[in-house]
Amino acid sequence: MGNQKLYKGSLQTIILKLLAQNDKMYGYEITQKVKELTKGELKITEGALYPALHKLEAEGMLDVEVAKVGNRLRKYYKLTEHGTKETVNKLAEMQEFLKTMQQLVNPKFSLE
Amino acid sequence: MKEKHQITDKYIAELYKFTREHFVEHYDVQTELVDHLANDIEQIWVAQPQLSFNEAKIISFKKFGIFGFMDVVEQKQKVMNKRYWKILWRFVKEWFSVPKIILTASVFTVFILLFQLRVSSIIVLIAIVTLLTFEFINEMIIKYKLRIIKKRKQKLFLLEEMIHNTKSGLLLVSVFNIFNFMNVFKIDFSSLSIYWVGLSSFVVTLFLVIYYVVTFVMPSKAEELLAEVYPEYKFL
Repeated sequence: MGNQKLYKGSLQTIILKLLAQNDKMYGYEITQKVKELTKGELKITEGALYPALHKLEAEGMLDVEVAKVGNRLRKYYKLTEHGTKETVNKLAEMQEFLKTMQQLVNPKFSLE
Repeated sequence: MKEKHQITDKYIAELYKFTREHFVEHYDVQTELVDHLANDIEQIWVAQPQLSFNEAKIISFKKFGIFGFMDVVEQKQKVMNKRYWKILWRFVKEWFSVPKIILTASVFTVFILLFQLRVSSIIVLIAIVTLLTFEFINEMIIKYKLRIIKKRKQKLFLLEEMIHNTKSGLLLVSVFNIFNFMNVFKIDFSSLSIYWVGLSSFVVTLFLVIYYVVTFVMPSKAEELLAEVYPEYKFL
């Protein structure tokens, strides 16, 4: 388990990317999916996930749906049109960030 | 033994109780947390089937960190506040478009005429004090009702509390303070230029519209607004 702090600023982008691939997801599913994809390297904390989801919802990037699953209600999140566009921007920003970090941390691989 | 590894209705009820005990007062926030805890407890049981419901619940809760559900609750409140203002703005805008603008303009005109009278500040003060008294009584009634709902542990939504617990008394106090301020500096309304009278009339009219929307319009449409904001409202 790496330094979780390094992932902190990328939480929104991670959520948006997952939702772009999965149509709709609920909170717990997101934590599990991230754990699975990163083989346990990144564990999204519950105390950070829900505030991030609610913030994205308030910004109009996510829409919510509620379904009755067994004996409980489940809240699903999905991308809005605005959210879909924003995902593209955020992912581009992320690529840029990764490139810059790569250059800083590992300058010998730089092509320039 | 097999039954133990399923989240039964009884456990769901216990989880709702657990979130309430950890300062999550509103049903909408509780519901999402309950589903999360239930999923996590089921997952914990897969790995450690020997754990009791309570033990698994505590493990799951600890993952929220030392502040527990507070971060979730705080963020949700911020988000809902924004939502509230958006809805409020939607209703206020109506009063500045046809046909309601006719009424708004009339009120505005009355204020313009009123503020040019020598006795205007007295009239305004009496009006505000009357409104404040009404508001004070109204808020007492609402607080009492909300307390009963919470005590009986009925399902109270965050937005529902915001709609009913209007705090519009504060709005009136701020208008009251404008006049207090003017009194302190011995500014007489009737001596002001027409521009100032116009501006004051506009501000007071706007305050009045907001007050009306917050105190009467939104509470009367509470059901509709809740259904609009909460997809889970239809399951109740």
